[in-house]
Amino acid sequence: MSSSLLHPPAQLSPVVALQLSQQAPSLLQNAPSSISPYSLGSLWSAAESPELWTVYENLMLSCLRTGDEESAHICLERLTARFGADNEKLMALGGIFQEAVAQDDAALKRILEEYETILNKDPTNTPISKRRVALFKTLKRTTEAITALIKFLDASPTDAEAWAELGDLYVSQAMYKQGIFAFEEVLLITPNAWNIHAKLGEICYMAATANEPGSDNYLAESLRRFCRSIELCDDYLRGYYGLKITSNKLLGSHPRQSKTDGGLAPPTQETVQRLSEIATSKLSEIVRRNAAGDSGYLGYDLGEIIAAKELLNKE
Amino acid sequence: MAQIPIQTIHRDPQLFYWILIPITIVMILTGVLRHYATVLMATPPKKQELAAIREQRSLLRGINLRMNGNTVSHASFNARRDYLVTAYEEGAFLKEPEKKGQAAPNPMTDPAAMDGMMGMMKGNMMMMIPQTLIMGWINTFFSGFVVIRLPFPLTIKFKSMLQAGVATRDMDPQWMSSISWYVLCIFGLQSVFNYLLGSDNSASQTAQQMGQMGPGAGANMFGPGQDPDKQFQAEAENLAVQAHHYVLDGVEDRLLKSLKV
Repeated sequence: MSSSLLHPPAQLSPVVALQLSQQAPSLLQNAPSSISPYSLGSLWSAAESPELWTVYENLMLSCLRTGDEESAHICLERLTARFGADNEKLMALGGIFQEAVAQDDAALKRILEEYETILNKDPTNTPISKRRVALFKTLKRTTEAITALIKFLDASPTDAEAWAELGDLYVSQAMYKQGIFAFEEVLLITPNAWNIHAKLGEICYMAATANEPGSDNYLAESLRRFCRSIELCDDYLRGYYGLKITSNKLLGSHPRQSKTDGGLAPPTQETVQRLSEIATSKLSEIVRRNAAGDSGYLGYDLGEIIAAKELLNKE
Repeated sequence: MAQIPIQTIHRDPQLFYWILIPITIVMILTGVLRHYATVLMATPPKKQELAAIREQRSLLRGINLRMNGNTVSHASFNARRDYLVTAYEEGAFLKEPEKKGQAAPNPMTDPAAMDGMMGMMKGNMMMMIPQTLIMGWINTFFSGFVVIRLPFPLTIKFKSMLQAGVATRDMDPQWMSSISWYVLCIFGLQSVFNYLLGSDNSASQTAQQMGQMGPGAGANMFGPGQDPDKQFQAEAENLAVQAHHYVLDGVEDRLLKSLKV
């Protein structure tokens, strides 16, 4: 997967982070160390551009990932010099830096208190509110993280990222019903996000295997969520994987004609059988063509391909 | 019809250097100056308080539910709808619940709206003052003679408009005085300004006019003069009548059909 400092992938895997942070020394040397829009020097030196600052921010995050604290510090300094320390986003970046270099829990608690003072002065500071929740998560104080997130979402219910984080926190505590509620809120904001449909399918599947009350409904709903994610993105490996697992489970068990999920009839055995076959064939096609290096099939994440191969081999 | 002879007037070639070029340069420079002055005088948008943000976003939440409610199941949709409709009708999200039922704040007296209006007035001033000054300057120094000739024919009525200082009966309306060169430049220099200052510049006149007409014509949702309580009630009604078609209903059959093809 190609990546650059302008558009880093959403999940910064260790390999990518290393690659990006290795560009740090050359970048930091080439870019001018201080940029003032009014100085005479700006007439002939490189003009600043919005991309420059995005690059600095992403570089800082990659360097913190790989432990290169000096370069990260330099990036942070340059950003602060340009935008001033009052900038909300910059306060959050500074917070990330401090959390990354903190040595122990006591230091983290001090950072937490700093966040709370900032929020007392200005409760609308969104980036700092989110950093506070992330810090609770780091300190493993999950209930406080959930409470803080709920308070944040009361003021700002259209923030999809916050709802998704809340859903993850609930699922980590095995509160599946609330997790499903949170991810449904994400869908209300971004209705065509196939990854969220797949995530909901996974949560429903987890709820079904954990034998929550009404597991048959969960299984059927999980199947349908994966179908929808494939409908929205027809070479979505995660969708086919989930489809295969849920359809196998549905074929294995024998769903009773009980009260159904949200009033929908359970899918017929024949449909489930056909879906299972399609999922198997598509998964093997993806794995095969990815291994052969066909164009259009190279963008898949290696971990997902390996998981798909194992699933296919299990049969 | 006999061919009307084209009137030619022998012009001093120095006309070009002493009139056309100075007027053009002055207009370009004032445009650039106006752009930077606008940028420097622009006030940053005022920070909104938590209660105001909460009010706006809760309304957006209702709109999202109405538009994207088909992605969740009937039970989920009904639960959310009942909660939101009750909350809207009670005014649970209003930032000033005591003022429920009173009229909307008058834009003149509401301090939040004054800033918006001041911004607009500043923009208008920046447009009008340079235009007035330049027109006065041209009329003082460059009147009484014709400068250019348009390549296409015009009717006689245009003479009064475009040959301002020259009162002759027989001269073709195609000959124009310098004030008409000024008018032509206003429209023509916009692409020059786009090149010099980037496309989002404040020296471009038609963008401003369109900006004033466009969003002004549409209703301003969260701006001054809108009663949030009425907006909530309207949204509650819209939600109450919303029909719901669960997208997952029959998705497996749709998928099979599409994959078969």
